[in-house]
Amino acid sequence: MARKVLRDDEPDLNKGEVVEGTNFDFDLFIIGAGSGGVRAARFSSNFGAKVGICELPFDPISSETIGGVGGTCVIRGCVPKKILVYGASYGGELEDARNYGWELSEHIDFNWKKLLQKKTDEINRLNGIYKRLLSNAGVKLFEGEGKIAGPNEVEVTQLDGTKLSYTAKHILIATGSRAQRPDIPGKELGITSDEALSLEEFPKRTVILGAGYIAVEFASIWRGMGSDVNLVFRRELPLRGFDDEMRAVVARNLEGRGINLHPRTNLKELIKTDDGIKVITDHGEELIADAVLFATGRAPNSKRLNLEKVGVEVDKSGAIKVDEYSRTNIPSIWAVGDVTNRFNLTPVALMEASLFAKTVFGGESLKPNYNDIPYAVFSIPPLSVVGLSEEDAIEKTNGDVLVFTSTFNPMKNTISGRQEKTIMKLVVDAQTDKVLGASMCGPDAPEIIQGIAIALKCGATKAQFDSTVGIHPSAAEEFVTMRTVTRRVTGGAKPKTSL
Amino acid sequence: MKQAMATSLSLSCCSPSLTRNTLFFTKTFPFSRSFSLPQSLSTKTLISLSPPRRTFAVRAESQNGAEPAGHYDFDLFTIGAGSGGVRASRFASNFGANAAICELPFSTISSDTTGGVGGTCVIRGCVPKKLLVYASKFSHEFEESNGFGWRYDSEPKHDWSSLIANKNAELQRLTGIYKNILKNNNVKLIEGRGKIVDPHTVDVDGKLYTAKNILVSVGGRPFIPDIPGKEYAIDSDAALDLPSKPEKIAIVGGGYIALEFAGIFNGLKSEVHVFIRQKKVLRGFDEEIRDFVEEHMALRGIEFHTEESPVAITKAADGSLSLKTSKGTVEGFSHVMFATGRKPNIKNLGLESVGVKIAKDGSIEVDEYSQTSVPSIWAIGDVTNRINLTPVALMEGVALTKTLFLNEPTKPDYRAVPAAVFSQPPIGGVGLTEDQAVEQHGDIDVYTANFRPLKATLSGLPDRVFMKLIVSAKTNQVLGLHMCGDDAPEIVQGFAVAIKAGLTKADFDSTVGIHPTAAEEFVTMRTPTRKVRKSHASQDKSDSEAKAAAGS
Repeated sequence: MARKVLRDDEPDLNKGEVVEGTNFDFDLFIIGAGSGGVRAARFSSNFGAKVGICELPFDPISSETIGGVGGTCVIRGCVPKKILVYGASYGGELEDARNYGWELSEHIDFNWKKLLQKKTDEINRLNGIYKRLLSNAGVKLFEGEGKIAGPNEVEVTQLDGTKLSYTAKHILIATGSRAQRPDIPGKELGITSDEALSLEEFPKRTVILGAGYIAVEFASIWRGMGSDVNLVFRRELPLRGFDDEMRAVVARNLEGRGINLHPRTNLKELIKTDDGIKVITDHGEELIADAVLFATGRAPNSKRLNLEKVGVEVDKSGAIKVDEYSRTNIPSIWAVGDVTNRFNLTPVALMEASLFAKTVFGGESLKPNYNDIPYAVFSIPPLSVVGLSEEDAIEKTNGDVLVFTSTFNPMKNTISGRQEKTIMKLVVDAQTDKVLGASMCGPDAPEIIQGIAIALKCGATKAQFDSTVGIHPSAAEEFVTMRTVTRRVTGGAKPKTSL
Repeated sequence: MKQAMATSLSLSCCSPSLTRNTLFFTKTFPFSRSFSLPQSLSTKTLISLSPPRRTFAVRAESQNGAEPAGHYDFDLFTIGAGSGGVRASRFASNFGANAAICELPFSTISSDTTGGVGGTCVIRGCVPKKLLVYASKFSHEFEESNGFGWRYDSEPKHDWSSLIANKNAELQRLTGIYKNILKNNNVKLIEGRGKIVDPHTVDVDGKLYTAKNILVSVGGRPFIPDIPGKEYAIDSDAALDLPSKPEKIAIVGGGYIALEFAGIFNGLKSEVHVFIRQKKVLRGFDEEIRDFVEEHMALRGIEFHTEESPVAITKAADGSLSLKTSKGTVEGFSHVMFATGRKPNIKNLGLESVGVKIAKDGSIEVDEYSQTSVPSIWAIGDVTNRINLTPVALMEGVALTKTLFLNEPTKPDYRAVPAAVFSQPPIGGVGLTEDQAVEQHGDIDVYTANFRPLKATLSGLPDRVFMKLIVSAKTNQVLGLHMCGDDAPEIVQGFAVAIKAGLTKADFDSTVGIHPTAAEEFVTMRTPTRKVRKSHASQDKSDSEAKAAAGS
């Protein structure tokens, strides 16, 4: 997710191969109608540009030739994932209800197929809404696979195999990314998050390989719905890159909710048996599963775009190289979103796309700003962060760092009896009093962090947090009532752990 | 030197081993005060109604309570161990003062002779209320869960008595924790009724204690109007501790207490009728929020009777109650609850005899430093009827102890105090309402969002979320933020930091959203829903409107 800065200069729209005054079919042609592509199309059109966009045919499972308007976020990412998280969260809620006086029937049934159908209906509805957004904005949508045919030319292969060719003053690549599988024997028996969101049968026994946010979210989803979940990952703790203390809390919470963690473990082989998939770990352990999910990373969708034809540069991971304005080395070709592998989040793709449109068609040269981007892991309970982790703050700050933490039993748990603590953390620059990072693991964390993110983005100090009155009784009020420093870390001190 | 010592003490005064939420932060009830405080305060607190006094510098010199107590038993004697009193006495003690506090014996129902350490917030306010809100919210979640594939063989049933038993066990635990907090902070706790005898003496059940400073933090109590049959009515104290669940309840009042209890009993499957004198609920709140919350509570089955004033309650032979109003009579209630306001607990405190001035509303009159008309007597919290919220009482308590014991004259800052209503759906807000903003700032831009959240599209329930930002057209500063919908109280807290810091709409826009959340809507509102201009028809208006539209 590291930001890549390739160029520092202002974009010059008149340089290179951007030809003025020629008769192009479009001012802008976009390959890929996901979050970034749709946003760029709409905004550019609103600025008066003539815009075309192409997208692969719709299906929940993506492939080289399958996609759908709305993209990963809407069809096989944020939205369906969150729907399943909601569905799974009732599992815990039902447990919590009992001590609040609710008498529930012995037998409570969870019908996966029903949820799946409703999820699919909702995705279809959203897919339609996105198509309408495009047509209402006057954007011409083509169904088919888009490829670069020249610096100002795109070729779209339609479903029936016929090829269309269009010229455009600017081309924007917004083809996103796709889940990858590790290269182990039996890998074809495993699934990726695409399939996991659309399984025909609910998997009662599951193995998940990976420790990123996707792995952790699916572990919570399946566990909440009653599956026996094994989460296998190479390191000591899940969620590498996050604040270490938060990682430990997430691990504890996952275990507390009944997920079996297998740290420092990798998968060696998958074997099909009558009883299910036999999963062999590198410790020689054997697990039996109905579904094995590979959540081991995603790769940019750049291979079939014919980039080499015009020489668009990609990096080792296949991500398209762009400058700070999202422009590739070919001046008429731009790229936004996951295909550039900067900060792979929908709101970031939206930001990149909006600023692309403003830069190219709105008469303002604007670079996306990647500071203090908040984000969330929708595990149960969720984790959300903005700004620096404690480790990053210690590394990046010259002076001392003040760490304020609060670990508490949320009020709801006082009666439900659930043994699960919420933890909140503020990391403060001792010299300037500026809040460098905020993180939280506990119910509603993503909703709570959003407002905190504005304060951080605008350089708020700890004193400004303290001067804000709390909302009582809430969990969020803890962020404005942290009076006592938990620890003071001397600048330059190395992080305590290497997890 | 003294200050440095006190500061280091203040760092240690929050024992990290104490866990949160229900402990230190305790809220009391605002009466019908609106979210935004500058306005209401300007009439009451900021412009002091009391006669001119010595300047503060002089007072701080002469009254520094951290000086040796001399011939007094205590530096600070606090009457009332609720949110404000416990906070003030703890901090005072940590700042080096010799502190004592008195409180009535514990009972879930308050009276002239019962109270309890922890006060309204812990025993009969915020905490038990929120626990019942949690309990009642499950029924909505059961309904939602059907849309997510969950199915129950039989309808979930609720057992009121086990809820109340569990709630009371928790309250006992909390009041014990509060007592420990006082003990661990070396505050002497005296059980009994405190009464001021002279400016430096408090009588607790016949025993006299002298103090350099006396703090009155006795809070408020529910008020039931004097109508025939009022003896059949219950107040919020009783409603939180009923022996059985109401089958059919009339709730009189349209403030936040009324709405919260309406939601609680509706969620627990009572038939709920709310009677309000006005056309709308929640006077003082933003108009759109008022409309939205009422509409959505009605969708969940609560019946609102608007513009009806209570006239009398009668009891039928079968024991059921009838409520007669200015418009007619509704029969068959098992309970009639009055949520018609709260009054400061100023009786039998000896205030009049020592010359402490009482305001017209029955509250203790204080200046900006919480000092009463008697220089050695101070008052904080609901008894002063400023903004009746626990976090505000805490703020007043901290400010007072800094003034008295740290030589740092500190006024509580009432700007941009956020507040929540734990109705179902809940409300959160901070800053000005639209009407206040227009009045104070003239030209404003209003951004609103009214949407069906992702959860509701699957559950099939008619739940929606309403959000609103009010922005100064001149300065771009965000003046007010309001929300009604799931998680509103949690969501608004972070935004309150931003609004208190005076951030602008551009600052909001520059913040990246967290997807998919409801909260991200507050940072992705691109087009004003309306622009309110005191001076109409300016040329740039259409220009900026066109630009805003293009940005959507």
